[in-house]
Amino acid sequence: MSPIDPALDFSTVIASTVHDMKNSLAMLMQAHSQWLARLPKELRDGSEQGVIDFEFAHLNGMLVQLLGLYKLGVNQLPLQPAYHELDDFIEAQLAAHQEVFASRGIIATYEVDPLSPLGFFDRELIASVLGNCINNAIRYARESLLITVSDEAGQLVLSINDDGDGYPAQMLERQADYVQGINHSSGSTGLGLYFANRIAALHQRNGVEGRTEISNGGPLGGGVFSLYLP
Amino acid sequence: MSSYHQKSFLIVDDFSDFRSSVRSMLRELGVKDVDTADTGEQALKMCSQKSYDFILQDFHLGDGKKNGQQVLEDLMSEKLISHEAVFVMVTAETSQAMVLSALEHEPDAYLTKPFNRSGLAQRLERLEQRKTLLKPILQALDRGKPVEVLNACIALCKQDIRYSPLCLRYRADALRDMNQNEALERLYDGIIADRPLPWAFAGLGKLLFKRGQVTQAKEVYEKALKVFPMMPALYDGMADVLVAEGDSKGAQRVLEEAIRLSPLAVRRQALLGKLAMANEDFETASRAYRQAVSQGAQSRFKDPESNLGLAHALISKGSDRGLDTRTRLEINTTLSAVAKENPSDPGLQIRARLMKATSLLLNDAETADKLTEQALMRLDGMEQFMSPEAALLVAKQLQMLGQAEAGTSMLKSCAEIYGDDPAVMKDIAKLTDDPTILSSSNAAADLNRQGVRVYKTGNLVEAREVFRKALKLQPKNISIALNLAQSLLHGTDTSVPSAELEECRACLKLVGLMPDTDARFARYQKLKSKAFGE
Repeated sequence: MSPIDPALDFSTVIASTVHDMKNSLAMLMQAHSQWLARLPKELRDGSEQGVIDFEFAHLNGMLVQLLGLYKLGVNQLPLQPAYHELDDFIEAQLAAHQEVFASRGIIATYEVDPLSPLGFFDRELIASVLGNCINNAIRYARESLLITVSDEAGQLVLSINDDGDGYPAQMLERQADYVQGINHSSGSTGLGLYFANRIAALHQRNGVEGRTEISNGGPLGGGVFSLYLP
Repeated sequence: MSSYHQKSFLIVDDFSDFRSSVRSMLRELGVKDVDTADTGEQALKMCSQKSYDFILQDFHLGDGKKNGQQVLEDLMSEKLISHEAVFVMVTAETSQAMVLSALEHEPDAYLTKPFNRSGLAQRLERLEQRKTLLKPILQALDRGKPVEVLNACIALCKQDIRYSPLCLRYRADALRDMNQNEALERLYDGIIADRPLPWAFAGLGKLLFKRGQVTQAKEVYEKALKVFPMMPALYDGMADVLVAEGDSKGAQRVLEEAIRLSPLAVRRQALLGKLAMANEDFETASRAYRQAVSQGAQSRFKDPESNLGLAHALISKGSDRGLDTRTRLEINTTLSAVAKENPSDPGLQIRARLMKATSLLLNDAETADKLTEQALMRLDGMEQFMSPEAALLVAKQLQMLGQAEAGTSMLKSCAEIYGDDPAVMKDIAKLTDDPTILSSSNAAADLNRQGVRVYKTGNLVEAREVFRKALKLQPKNISIALNLAQSLLHGTDTSVPSAELEECRACLKLVGLMPDTDARFARYQKLKSKAFGE
């Protein structure tokens, strides 16, 4: 598919629509936060506010993911790897969800192995994966969420832990199917896993590809999503 | 402890809602000094009047307007912001802006819309911290002292080895500026062996190409494009390699690929136009030049050569029956712009008129004659040298317009100015069989080569004599005049007046007539600043 092709195919139409939707949503979120700032405090912290913030973030995450999937499909997802300070990177992802954490009473923390303060990856792509995961974890977490960064045999491991009920057994068993895009029956989560894994796999070093893994347990006893980057 | 709250901010966005929203976020964070701009032009103006610590620049400022990347490039090249300043590119979608970004000037960070106050605060806090950490390096960059940059990198890595990856780019650029080619190659090789970074590939390719190791440069670009098929700058490097190998068709294909990825690139479009012209692919040439002209309108890379190229491509595309009305209109518009915007450049005035006359040759001979007449008059009084490409096209068009004599004299002067360059002589041979022109440069070129040999032995007196003889044969030859000037300057005290200094300055005055696009222009400037003590 080249941009000079006059006949637009359906996925391009969808992608440009999604692009517009994303811009609209950005305007909406902005207007909303400005409006909110003018409201008296008791109205500002209503329970609806938490729903609005969460769904805003959820919508935005889905749209970003859709655009990402489109670009993967037409081979237009550029990899721009660079060194990034990990505590900065994770703080930024958590800050983006600050309002939702506050309204849901979730305490979000992170731990970075002090011996490896820098990671090598595409900041935007990995941020979109992490954003979706955090959003997903918020849905199931009871009161805490923990992001850990460690080093496993030279690979960078980013794990998002929650204290919810964990992934259903059937999903854990069949995660290979989701990752390959075979089973999308569980909707956005399945698609999210597929997307995450494709992006992880774009990160390669000496023939080793990045990958994802879901499991239950971890330090918080709930679901654990792990991203391995070589 | 420094903090971003006391710093000055500039928000650049075409949406007033966005400007006021970010402004109020910053206010809530305790920032007092906040200015806004709605266009890139305004931002540049404001930055020339006040030095901002933070610039939050929207990438897309509307169609036909300077985009954020262009603003950044202008700010950097005109030194309107310090390296210590934080430049954040705000985008609706980041990957797009990244593809469009040139590898030389990357923003300090990208911030994707929408973002909230905590997100903004977190980024600003961190960017401030990073700038503080790198402060000695950035200050050395502002002073333009690569040696100090290197020392500052070493000091930082000594302080904390974990930060050494952050210094890699600064180290490489400093080594490049110091012409430390071997050390630079080792550094690039080391980086690539560990982690494939796109800028390291591009830098290594460029270095090898600069040193004439074209085959090795090609291998680097081939390898890099496998890993980063989305990086336009790598295609540019590959195209340079292919041009050097004489494969202009291959170079065109590679550039077309880069343009598919990143169509907003004035220089790339202009280069594609030029290559496509050489390949006689007039359709592609006119399309590329058209893009170069329209995008160039907002850019610092605006170049009348693209207008002339567009007109030339459109004329070449035309049939035996002449050009249709629409094409003539487009040619007229694009050439009028050249004439209007460059009133004091005789070369461009002449070329625009001859180009237009050529386009009217079949449809309006009378106007064509009138324009040719005007061009000839200006040509008569013109001192400046045209580039060989421009001069040869002028000669060809003069021939086509029935001015054989003027065409021949143009070729003669071209052979005199550039006669030592075999490629130029080859192109002249395409336009004439006249042996007096074709052999006119041989004797002078021989003497010039002989002079260089003598100069290398250190015998200045004899070298000058040989160069003088050569220059007598071809008084306007750039290479010979430069060589004579250099040999005269060698061992001459420029602080006291002398015959040598006088003669040298006369040579350089002549050479100064060459176009600044010439590869020898830098050498001329160096000699000039020595000889004139500027």
